[in-house]
Amino acid sequence: MQMSNGPAVAKAASDQDEFNPFLSMAKLFDRAADILELGAGLREVLRRPDRELTVSLPIVMDDGHTKVFTGYRVQHNFLRGPCKGGIRFAPDVNLDEVRALAAWMTWKCSVVDIPFGGGKGGVICDPRELSQGELERITRRYTASIMDILGPDRDVPAPDMNTNEQTMAWIMDTYSMHVRKTTTAVVTGKPISIGGSRGRREATGRGVMLSAREAMKKLGRRPEDTRVVVQGSGNVGGIGALLLHREGYKIVSISDMYGTLLNETGLDMPQVLDHLTQNRRLEGYTEGTYMDSKEQLELDCELLVPAATENQITSANADRIKAKLIVEGANGPTTAVAQEILDDRGVTVVPDILANAGGVTVSYFEWVQDRMGYFWTEEIVNTRLEQVMVKAFADVDATADKYGVSLRTAAYILAIDRVASVHRMRGVFA
Amino acid sequence: MIPPRYIEEDSDELLPSTPLLDDETPFSTMMSSFDEAAHRLGIEPGEYAILRKPDREISVSVPVRLDDGRLAVFDGYRIQHNAGLGPFLGPLRLQRRMKIDELRALAAWMTWKCAVLDVPFGGAAGGIRINTRRHSQGEIERAVRRYTASLLSDIGPDRDVFAPDVGAGENVMAWVMDTVSNHARVTENAAVTGKPTALGGSIGHEDAVAQGVRVILRLAVEHFKLSKGSLSVVIQGAGTVGGNLARILQADGHRVCGISDVHGAFYNPNGLDLGPILAYRNEHGSLRGFKGDFQTITNDELLAQECDVLIPCATANAIHSRNAHQINAKLIVEGAHGPISAHGNRLLEERGIPIVPDILANGGGVVLSYFEWVQNRTGYQWIAQVIEKRLRRFMSEAWNQCVEMTREHDVSLRMAASMLAVRRVSAADSLRGIYA
Repeated sequence: MQMSNGPAVAKAASDQDEFNPFLSMAKLFDRAADILELGAGLREVLRRPDRELTVSLPIVMDDGHTKVFTGYRVQHNFLRGPCKGGIRFAPDVNLDEVRALAAWMTWKCSVVDIPFGGGKGGVICDPRELSQGELERITRRYTASIMDILGPDRDVPAPDMNTNEQTMAWIMDTYSMHVRKTTTAVVTGKPISIGGSRGRREATGRGVMLSAREAMKKLGRRPEDTRVVVQGSGNVGGIGALLLHREGYKIVSISDMYGTLLNETGLDMPQVLDHLTQNRRLEGYTEGTYMDSKEQLELDCELLVPAATENQITSANADRIKAKLIVEGANGPTTAVAQEILDDRGVTVVPDILANAGGVTVSYFEWVQDRMGYFWTEEIVNTRLEQVMVKAFADVDATADKYGVSLRTAAYILAIDRVASVHRMRGVFA
Repeated sequence: MIPPRYIEEDSDELLPSTPLLDDETPFSTMMSSFDEAAHRLGIEPGEYAILRKPDREISVSVPVRLDDGRLAVFDGYRIQHNAGLGPFLGPLRLQRRMKIDELRALAAWMTWKCAVLDVPFGGAAGGIRINTRRHSQGEIERAVRRYTASLLSDIGPDRDVFAPDVGAGENVMAWVMDTVSNHARVTENAAVTGKPTALGGSIGHEDAVAQGVRVILRLAVEHFKLSKGSLSVVIQGAGTVGGNLARILQADGHRVCGISDVHGAFYNPNGLDLGPILAYRNEHGSLRGFKGDFQTITNDELLAQECDVLIPCATANAIHSRNAHQINAKLIVEGAHGPISAHGNRLLEERGIPIVPDILANGGGVVLSYFEWVQNRTGYQWIAQVIEKRLRRFMSEAWNQCVEMTREHDVSLRMAASMLAVRRVSAADSLRGIYA
C-alpha cells in the first residue's frame, strides 16, 4: 500500500481539477491554517490520519465460493474524543477517499462542538450484486476485523453510502457478542428498538432548516418573503423543505434525480412528500409544473438549498445563481472556484460542515443516550439539536466577523483552531 | 451407597428440574398466551422457537463454610432468557424449594414484561436453593457472595442485572453489588437494582409496582368506562404491592373494601380504615389477630365479593377454573404474577369481565429497576417528582400501545400485551440476526 501524505492532500497530486471536493477541502485547510498562523509541525499533525487500518474480509458467498473483500477504517484525529464517521459499501471505495472523508468528519464534529474526532470506513463491494446474507456476513466480518480499534470510547461508526439501520444493527450485535456485553453505543444510526435515537431520520434536514433560519436572521429577512429552491428530495432535501415550509417559507421548487417541480405560488410540501412516498418520484404531481432539472439552481429565489450531491454550483453556473443565500445540505455542492465567484457577488453560503451537521449531532445524542441507557423524547432531541445548531452558527458567524472571511473559511478556522488548541493542551503522549 | 449425612439437608429433592406442566402452572398459563400471540402475529415458527427457549442456563455449586465449621454446598442457577433488546434483567431469589422450571418461566416472563414496558432489557431469573430461615445472616451472605463470584463473567451492568425477589431484599443486593465491584476493581452499582439508597438505590423503589398499578388503573377505568368517581376496590394481598396499593388508592379517594394476607381477609363494603390495619401488619408481619370494623373472611370469599375493581396482588393462580364463576367485579387488574390461571382466564373472558394482565399492570417494578440502572450509569440521582413523571409516562405508553393492539387485532388486553411483547422481542432479534 502506497503511503499517503495525509487526508488534506489526498488525491491532490493526481487530480488537480475544480471538481475534486477533497482538493477544495485541502485548500481551505491551508487557508485556515495560514490565518491561524499554525506552525508546520502542527499542520502536519492535523493533516495526517492518526491511524489507518486495512483488512481483508474472506466471505463465503451464497454459491459456496470464497471471495475476499477489502475494508478500511481510517481514524483521522481523536484529540477531541472517540472517532465518529460513516461506513460505506461501494465499488469505488478507496483509501484516499476514506482518508479525506475522515478528515472532513473531524472538522464537522469540531464546528458543532461535539466531543468526537473524525473517522470513516468502507468496504469495496457492489451492494447491488450481493444478497442480504452476503451483506450481513461482510458487515459482521468487517466489524470483527476492526474490533480492536472500535468501541464507544474509541471509534463509533454510523451509516453512510449503501449502509443503513440494518447494517448498524449487525455491527452492534457483532460487537456486543464479541465483548460479551450489550454495547449499543458502539455505533449510531441504529433502529430505535435497539438503542437508536428518536428524531435521527429528520436530523440533517432539521439542521439545514435551523441553519437557514439563523442565516435569515443575520440577513434580516422574513420567511414569508422568502422563495426557496431545494435541490434533492431525500432525507435532507425533502425533510429540509418540509420543515422550511412549516416555518412559513415559500418552497417554489424541489427536485429529485429525474426532474424538477416548480410552483411560483409555493408548493404544499406535505402533499408533495406524500406523492413522493407513493410514487417514488416527483413526476405526476399536479399542483405545479414538472420540468427537467438543468436550470433549477438558477431559478429566481432568495434561498437556495443544494441537498443532492457534490459539485452542483461550479464555475459554469455560479454567476447565474440568483439566490442571495445558499445553505449547503449536501457535502461539497459548491466548488472552490464557484465559491470565489459567489463571494465576489456577495452571496452568503452556509457551508456544508455547518449546515448539514444536524445528522452527526443527533448521532452524538444517540451515543449519549446509549451510554446512560435512557432515551429522550423527540421534543427533547429536537430542542437540543436546535441549541447545538444555533450555537454553532453563532460561533462560525463570530469567527467570520473576527477574521473578515466567508462563513466557509470561518467554519474551517473555528474547527481547526478547536482541534489545534486541544493538541496544545493534551500534548504529545508517549 | 452414599451415607445420608453427605446429602445436603436443605434439598428436598435432588432433581430440581422436574417440570410441572399441568394446565394450571404459571409457566403454562404464560406460554399458552405467548404461543397464541406469535401465531396471530404470523411469526415464523423457527423465529419463535428461539424466543421459547432461554439463551443460556447456568448452574453453579455454592460451597459455604457454615458457622459451626461444616461445609455445605448449595445449588445456584441463573437463567438468561433473551438478550435481543439489551442486557438481562431479572430477580435473584433465595428459596428452599426452587425449581429450575419456575426460573425458566420467570426469566421468559421478564423478557415479555420489559418488552411491553419498552425498557431495554431481556429477561433473566436466578437464585440459590437455600432455606433462609435455617441459616445465619453470615451464612447467607457467604452463599450470596460465592454465587455472585461464580457468575461474574456473565453478570454486570451490560450483561445481566439482578433485582430483589423472594428472600433477597436490599441487603442481599448490597452484597451482590459489593462482590461484583470488588472483583471488577471499579464501583459497579448498576449491576443490581433495588439497592439501599446509600449505594445508588432509586427513590420510589419500595412502592414502584403499586404506583404503576395506580397509573394503569386510572387509564383502565377511563377505557372501560367505569364510574369516574370513587371506586370500590378489593385487594388480595397486603405486602409490598397490595399494602402500598391500598394506601395509595385510598389517598386517591377510592373505597378499599377488602384486603387480605395468607391468613385471611378483612372485608367491609363501606370501606376499611386502612391506617391501623397496615400499621398492624408492618409491626407484626401479618394481619392475624387484628380486630376492627369489618368481617373476617377467607381469601376465596374475598375474591367473590362484589366490587368495581378486584386487584389480586398475592399468589399465582388465585383465580382458577373452580372459582372464576364466583368473581363479582367489573374489572380485574393483575397486581401479582399470574394470579389467574389459563383456564380461569378463559372463563372470565366468557363472562365478559375485562382483565388488565400482569405484564402490563405490575410493570412498575421493572421500570423503576430500569430507572435505577440509568441513574447508576450516569451517577446522577433523580428526584421523586422526576421519577413519578417518568414512571407515569412509561406505564401510559405501554397501556396505549396495548390498547392500540387490541383494536388492530381485535383481541383481549392480555393477548394484546403478549403480542406487543413478542413483536418487539422478535423484531429486535431479527434485526440483530444470528451472530457467530
